[in-house]
Amino acid sequence: MTLQHEVSIVTDTRTPTGDEVVTQVSALVEETFARLKPVLAAAEALLAEPAGRTAEALHGIRPQVIEALGGLVIGAGFVSAPHVLTDQEFGFEWWTCAGAEGGEPEQLFISLVPDSPNFLDYTRQSWFTVPRDSGRRHINGPYVDYLCTDEYTLTFTVPVSCEGGFAGVVGADVYVREFERTVSRRLRSLGRHAALLNAQGRVIVSNSVRQATGSLVRDVDVPAWWTSGAEPCTTSAGATLRRCGDSPIALLVTR
Amino acid sequence: MRNEMSNSARLAMFAPLDQLGRAEAVAARLLDAITLGLLDDAEQLPSEVELAAQFRVSTVTVREALAVLRQQGLVETRRGRGGGSFVRTPAWPPPSSWAARLRLVSMADLRDFGDHYLAVAGAAAKLAAERSTPEDLERLRLVTEDLLKATGPEAIRAERHFHLEVAAAAQSPRLTNQEVALQGEHGGLLWVPLGEPEQCREAYAEHQAVVAAIAAADGDLARKLTEDHVRSALDRLADLHLSLETP
Repeated sequence: MTLQHEVSIVTDTRTPTGDEVVTQVSALVEETFARLKPVLAAAEALLAEPAGRTAEALHGIRPQVIEALGGLVIGAGFVSAPHVLTDQEFGFEWWTCAGAEGGEPEQLFISLVPDSPNFLDYTRQSWFTVPRDSGRRHINGPYVDYLCTDEYTLTFTVPVSCEGGFAGVVGADVYVREFERTVSRRLRSLGRHAALLNAQGRVIVSNSVRQATGSLVRDVDVPAWWTSGAEPCTTSAGATLRRCGDSPIALLVTR
Repeated sequence: MRNEMSNSARLAMFAPLDQLGRAEAVAARLLDAITLGLLDDAEQLPSEVELAAQFRVSTVTVREALAVLRQQGLVETRRGRGGGSFVRTPAWPPPSSWAARLRLVSMADLRDFGDHYLAVAGAAAKLAAERSTPEDLERLRLVTEDLLKATGPEAIRAERHFHLEVAAAAQSPRLTNQEVALQGEHGGLLWVPLGEPEQCREAYAEHQAVVAAIAAADGDLARKLTEDHVRSALDRLADLHLSLETP
């Protein structure tokens, strides 16, 4: 496969197609992050007290976590940065309602013991590193969540601070298939090849067999477009690229 | 060794028929847990009744499984106050334990497992080369470095984690699930000979080459290098199997 990153990009001043898709995706993203606000507040309030920095005390945020579940959100919780808790290196308070239909939320457990053969270091996962390094909210994926559910997932994360430092993330999981179900009707009604991409140019959902879910768009340099401001643009090949509101998701429409 | 094996074989032989496979299965589970460090040295095992409830087998079956492990020196049972069964972690590598498991596997099963694993790991590497972003590559490089620093059970974990990371980079939940299931079935065994530092360095170089092919978006090369890497592990395992005396 040849890379065609040299395709020239010009800023487009006309109103590009796909307003409805852009509005819907932006609303979905904002709604998901809004669900995390009480969880973030609860986590930060808890960690502000030295007594709150134990694995046991973390259970205190359960009501807010469980409240955050629903809609597209099938999992939510708090994951601590190393050594934020005083009684163990890692902290993980995560709940899911992905089980039986109408079933009670269940707590997710992962190995937090570094010497265990099942231990996987979550501090290497992008849903953790990006908010840690940027100090900003992030949508990770689509990716295979082999740490928890083994599902194809989008994970929304927001950094948590404690005494001015990074203390971990609160997050919400959305299955890619549910996201697709929600947006696919509007995407199809565009009548042209269209795809929603993450900031790395990975296809989240498309209305075309040519752009498979999870594949990378190679004929437009999406990462470069993001770093240069993500203004609406039209490529020389006639494709339009625009950001969905303030979200890190872009709509690519090709002829 | 011959004496131990014939004893445990005799134990298995005289087990009630429907319990035969179960005692072996319970022993194999505990054996994996001990050799992979999941259970610590000198750690007390749950009581026979608790273990029976956990594995959903009879206490007789648990007793037989513990007897097999005791024969291999991996469990010590003390009587009286403060008594119970305690783990005795073997010095690495633990020849009697993995050898015992490897003996139970036939060459036919080993080949079939190998075919399946090659198909999964190879396909995952090819797709990872097509779909990896710089973030994915960074994680693959980190997990490659883990192998360089690892010894014994850590090397096995690093090896398993590497292939898991490749499957995830392929963006395929199904291949990732297959990877986890296959590793769970024979993974501990497949990478066991990696306890040796020289083999770790070889595996490290092979992982580096796979990551370079993925970074270059060369799917065919990534698949070939992964298949070569897995095949040499399988061959090593088959050689070991053949070198073991049959019980």
